[in-house]
Amino acid sequence: MDYSRPELADRLATAYVAGTLRGPARRRFEALLPAHPALRGAVRAWQDRLMPLTAAIAPQRPSPRVWRRIEARIGAAAAPAPAAAPWWSRLAFWRGLAALASVAALSLAVLLASPAPTLPPIVVVMNATAPAGSDGAVTPASFVASISGDRRAVVTKPLVNVSLQPDRVLELWAAAGKNPPRSLGLISASGATVVRRTALPAGTDHLAVSLEPPGGSPTGAPTGPVLFVGQL
Amino acid sequence: MPAATEWTDRSRELAQLLARAGLGDRAAFATLYERTSAHLFAVVLRINRDRAQAEDILQEVYVNVWRSAQSFDAAQSQPLTWLTSIARNRAIDSLRRAQTQPQIQAAHTCGGDDAEESDVYDQVADDSAGPLELLSRASDARALSHCMQDLSAQQRQSVALAFFDGLSHAEVAQQLRQPLGTVKSWLRRALMSLKSCLEAAVQRDSREGA
Repeated sequence: MDYSRPELADRLATAYVAGTLRGPARRRFEALLPAHPALRGAVRAWQDRLMPLTAAIAPQRPSPRVWRRIEARIGAAAAPAPAAAPWWSRLAFWRGLAALASVAALSLAVLLASPAPTLPPIVVVMNATAPAGSDGAVTPASFVASISGDRRAVVTKPLVNVSLQPDRVLELWAAAGKNPPRSLGLISASGATVVRRTALPAGTDHLAVSLEPPGGSPTGAPTGPVLFVGQL
Repeated sequence: MPAATEWTDRSRELAQLLARAGLGDRAAFATLYERTSAHLFAVVLRINRDRAQAEDILQEVYVNVWRSAQSFDAAQSQPLTWLTSIARNRAIDSLRRAQTQPQIQAAHTCGGDDAEESDVYDQVADDSAGPLELLSRASDARALSHCMQDLSAQQRQSVALAFFDGLSHAEVAQQLRQPLGTVKSWLRRALMSLKSCLEAAVQRDSREGA
């Protein structure tokens, strides 16, 4: 089907926002959203039309335990409050990557156990740290990074182009254990970037991409939100 | 009664709170919760009437909002519209997962030709307003009220049941004791005429200027 056709997009978006699109059809529609701007536009327009209707519903105060549970869940993964531990040392931050990490660790162990003259490159998948909005309007894109066997070059590439405001850039970081991350330089949001160094910082076990002002972080540490992170 | 106009008045403050939450400001997020949770909870609770489940949904909604606050784009959406959409989507998904049917008030009007009681919800003595009453409250806003007048009573009722109470086409049909196809086309026509009427109102307003 051609989802850029306005009538079709509008018809599906109407049923989706009104709530009558159900079951597998609803899930299929949500899966289509990231790739179809026309559908997203139609959904937004219908949300603008219908959501104000809910202002008529009398508010209902939820039990205080709801907030306590929310607080408990966001506490560990919260972005830096002044006194809080930095993002790279927070355990919960990496939890979602556990499965990937063990596979990566295993392959690394195999590689280390059988040293070859030239090591194959290591591929790191950096996943988006924020899940897609449940309205499906945001793509949970990933970055892939390939570290050369001699660890002197890193190639990064977004799986889906990341759309940035013109006054923002992406910066790549290498983190080793609990040490502060080291900048590897700015990378492209839309294509491959080759980052060359004398060597990756020793013990590097994570790569991360943060959002920074033009020219990169002024402080030498990530200042903007960390958008993607991956474990070696 | 809160009308749709207040929606926009609250936007600015909420947009700022969301932006700060997106940068990891937990105090701003707590304030955002304080300002919006009673509304979102009410929206969820109408769709999923199980209070414990509704609380779980609300929790998921706000954890999700905290994580995706960075992606909120104030240029494209109003904060309350964005938040309410997230809450509604979660609530609708929960119906599928839990296989719980919303508890439906008996809304069927027995004499279909009895013109006097087309709005049966007016007679329901209950704290919680019926969907149709909600629709008429919601249409306090000038444009909406004008647009609602164009809909037939049955069209209004099907929109209200589907939208506020999260009923599926089949459930609305069962509720109104009408064939599925009829209900589908009522809903579709009602929403289409709402759309064109609202679009016309927006154009009129922009011509009249601020």
